[in-house]
Amino acid sequence: MAISVFRFAPKTWGDADEVEAVAPLPLPSMASPTVILSALMVLFLLLFVTVGPLLWKQSPSQQWLSQISDGASSAYSVRIVSDNGAWRPSAKNDLPRGLTVHAANTEYVRLHWPKLAGVERYRIYRGDANKPGLGLAMADTGDNYYQDRLQLSREVYRYTIADAETGLLLFAREVRPEPAMSAFEAQLQGLIPLGGNEEWVDIPAHPLGTDALGRDILARLMAGGRTSLFVGVVAPLLYISFGCIFGAIAGLMGGWVDQLAMRFVDFVVALPFLLFMILFRVAFGIGPGENGIMPLIVAMLMLSWPGSARLIRGQVLALRSQPFVEASRIAGVGTSKIILRHMLPNVLPMILVAFSFAIPQAIFTEAFLSFIGMGVSPPTTSWGALCNDGIKTLLSHPRQLLLPALLISMSVLAFNILGDALRDATDRRSGVVRA
Amino acid sequence: MLNFIAKRLLSGVITIWFIATATFFAMHAVPGDPLTQEKAMTPAVRAQLEARYGLDKPLFDQYRLFLGNMLKGDFGISFTQENRRVNDIIREHFPISAILGVAAVLIALVGGITAGSVAAYCRNRWPDRMVMIAVIAAISVPGFVIAGLAQLVIVAMNNAAGKTLLPVAGWGSVSQIWVPALVLGLGTMAYLSRIMRASMLEVLSADFNIAAKAKGVHGWRLFFHHQLRNAVLPVVTELGPTIAAITTGGFVVELIFAIPGLGRYFVQAVQQLDYTVIMGTTVFYGAFLVLVVVLVDISYGLIDPRIRLHRGRS
Amino acid sequence: MSLLNLESLQVSIGSVQAVRDVSLSLQPGECRALVGESGCGKSVTAMSLLGLMPNAAETAAQHWQFAGRDMAHLTERDWRKLRGNQIAMIFQNPMTALDPTQTIGAQIAEPLRIHKGLSRRDAKKRAIALLERLAIANPAQRAEQYPFEFSGGMLQRAMIAMAVVCEPELLIADEPTTALDVTVQAEVLCLLQEMRESSGTAMLFITHDLGVVAEIADSVSVMYAGQTVESGSLTQVFTTEAHPYTQALKRAVPSLENPRPLEAIAGTPPDLRKPPTGCGFAARCSQRMAVCEQAPPPMSVGDSHIARCWLWHEDHPRRWRDKDGFTNASVIGRSRR
Repeated sequence: MAISVFRFAPKTWGDADEVEAVAPLPLPSMASPTVILSALMVLFLLLFVTVGPLLWKQSPSQQWLSQISDGASSAYSVRIVSDNGAWRPSAKNDLPRGLTVHAANTEYVRLHWPKLAGVERYRIYRGDANKPGLGLAMADTGDNYYQDRLQLSREVYRYTIADAETGLLLFAREVRPEPAMSAFEAQLQGLIPLGGNEEWVDIPAHPLGTDALGRDILARLMAGGRTSLFVGVVAPLLYISFGCIFGAIAGLMGGWVDQLAMRFVDFVVALPFLLFMILFRVAFGIGPGENGIMPLIVAMLMLSWPGSARLIRGQVLALRSQPFVEASRIAGVGTSKIILRHMLPNVLPMILVAFSFAIPQAIFTEAFLSFIGMGVSPPTTSWGALCNDGIKTLLSHPRQLLLPALLISMSVLAFNILGDALRDATDRRSGVVRA
Repeated sequence: MLNFIAKRLLSGVITIWFIATATFFAMHAVPGDPLTQEKAMTPAVRAQLEARYGLDKPLFDQYRLFLGNMLKGDFGISFTQENRRVNDIIREHFPISAILGVAAVLIALVGGITAGSVAAYCRNRWPDRMVMIAVIAAISVPGFVIAGLAQLVIVAMNNAAGKTLLPVAGWGSVSQIWVPALVLGLGTMAYLSRIMRASMLEVLSADFNIAAKAKGVHGWRLFFHHQLRNAVLPVVTELGPTIAAITTGGFVVELIFAIPGLGRYFVQAVQQLDYTVIMGTTVFYGAFLVLVVVLVDISYGLIDPRIRLHRGRS
Repeated sequence: MSLLNLESLQVSIGSVQAVRDVSLSLQPGECRALVGESGCGKSVTAMSLLGLMPNAAETAAQHWQFAGRDMAHLTERDWRKLRGNQIAMIFQNPMTALDPTQTIGAQIAEPLRIHKGLSRRDAKKRAIALLERLAIANPAQRAEQYPFEFSGGMLQRAMIAMAVVCEPELLIADEPTTALDVTVQAEVLCLLQEMRESSGTAMLFITHDLGVVAEIADSVSVMYAGQTVESGSLTQVFTTEAHPYTQALKRAVPSLENPRPLEAIAGTPPDLRKPPTGCGFAARCSQRMAVCEQAPPPMSVGDSHIARCWLWHEDHPRRWRDKDGFTNASVIGRSRR
């Protein structure tokens, strides 16, 4: 391959513009999908416990005794029926054509049928309409009527009347009882005023069902979340602030103050955390009418501050010997200004990261204590306390444990992911001094 | 080395004293006194009870008595279970908690180290992703929920099989140990596998790992002699807090699985405000945990020659 | 028959073409220096020679022979038998390259146990003997100690012991003296030279220190931006440097006999995620030409002296005179100053 002479002529190239600049590697940004999702999750949970109760105006402590451990239900009206015990059809209805239903509600189902010649005793069966078979034998009777008051619910029943002696099936009919409540019970639950004669009362919807005491789970989740998140945010806020001040004083004073302070920190760290949380919680006790949130927070404050105190002290000590701090001190900058200008901006990201990791920790602690009954006291509730309620009905109604557990896990997960992202971001962007 | 062990033991003893003192004064800060919780009683009975529990003496004397008794290993008599000594309760129920705890720690250690190593080896591939998702799930779900879920799963399995494959709760047979132990160790296992993954990743990119490969070391020899030994050090330091977490986690697991361990008695005592039992078990657990931390510290020194030799000299 | 013959090695790690075109050859017992600034692909080349690239890396070579074997299609099992046995490596930083949790003796004995199947005791004996040869006092006692108890120079000696214990045919030394104090450097170099001469091992000595090169090497390859830009014997490359990069490199080294102002090489090496299509050095070259937009192939400067620069193309005007026998390489090299 021959090359033209001119190609060997010296060439001056444009300085930089001819060399194509390659973009530097992009910093992994904080706005990854998981982080955004976690932030949304936190936002959702906060809205759930703050705005939620405004939109969902059920009282978390209202018991719907007719709906114990129910599944999801929509709103419906209930007929108030008077509760007058025995029933027999009036005389003019003495001869129905076939099996007649005089009344069908969840308080009672009244059946009436024509007397048949040669049948001495009738046997009444009640079964689920969707299942084959006669179902439960309710009664044997010589009368041609029957009132069923046995734990009726709003499903379709099939009543079958048979000859008690021969077993011959005589009549069958499907019945759907309408929701009803006795006046006595309605008054007991405070749904109607005493002596009132309302015919209908409205039962609200329970989108997530009710718990073992008939309380609306959605409302309880909102109320419980308020406690859990309140403790989860306020307790770390307090103990990290305290720890920071403690650590900063120790680090700034140095000398024997620092030594003494750090020995004390060593001892507090050595206390087994949950054990002493329980102990302090017992020691503070709960007076009548108190909700137990304050003792919880104080106990957490007393036991959790050493972590941040150590962190901040280490940072302050490291920063104090940094050239840029020494330079400003030599330049005559005052201590307060050094703290404000140099210490704070360097320490703040770490505090923020510590805070974001402390939140899930605090939520967990609160849940644990409430679960063993050492957290908030009723009627105040929390997600942990809800789990405690729910575990009792775990095998029959797992929903009552799983729903609050889901919310705890969601919040812990979201805060953990945010904390991770925050830590990565501060690690990378600022030249944070590592102790 | 002996110097180092002596130092650690001394600081351990001081810490136990601090724990005992904190326990004593916390319990005496309780509003009212323990006996007011009981039913109304005549002054004579009350005085008798006070004398029995030493509550009639001045606070400092009580403290001295408490410390003295503790030194003798005597934690007093239960308030709610008449005539039952706290020592007996501990002696009877702690071994059960200990068996459960040891099983849980073993499961957590083996599982965590394995999962973390696998994840690090398969970095950013599906085994890693799966381990990390499992880790995040296990860290975010409280222990008592995991215990509940485990029971649900067992019930569903038993129903599907039509016979009792695994007992849902209780204590006594080997098959009743491992499900609670797994549940108890799961959170810790997740935590340890996260640490193990990070430290294994560091080891995998370390110079000495490449140098070992350049020597022709490979396979299990490379893993056990060079990688595991270095990567496991941070896990060992976490062993103390791990055992503490598993001990306190045991309270809930014992409660849910109806295991007659000390943790369940502690929770019961707390719920019934049985002061001597609370105090006794707290000091016992505290001392136990401090001892564990000291032992872990010493064993860490044995594994890591840098610490073994340096600290020993200083 | 050369020990190692490597032609046009290419390694890309993800999007980075760390090594674009590296050719090396070593005779048995020869010491070749591989020179270049950091990030030019020296260490990657060394790792490829050991077959120790990460899975994500893609390695290809036109021709790759070691001790008569075709290396391009070696299985991992074959590589393991080779590593530490026939090819060994000395790492840059002995402080991090030795396993902190194993005794020095065990680490030196390890290749013997793997490759020679020696018992623990025999291997330990050999290791101690080797430490003694490397002038370490109390070798038996020292062998029981851990890396953190050794000084930097002693660690590097242990590292050398670890590499030569199986008497490999090729020893790769990746900047073995950079992490050491200047006072220890000479000592370690001497030892290396001694070990090499006594066992007849060939050595690939990677460094950016030209002074060390002059001390130890028989021949030199200069790397720039993932390519070998010049290679030849020590005298060829050092006295009649042919590539503008080598010339610039030499001007950047202080000299005692001939004090002159030092010249830094302006600009920065190209980004290997997007390597230039033409000559990699053109952007920083004081002698660039229009033709430099094209990638130069390796061109012969003299007897076994090769440079990857258009200046040495047979059509270059200066070579016309050369063809007529007027001048030689050194004149051209210097005339450009």
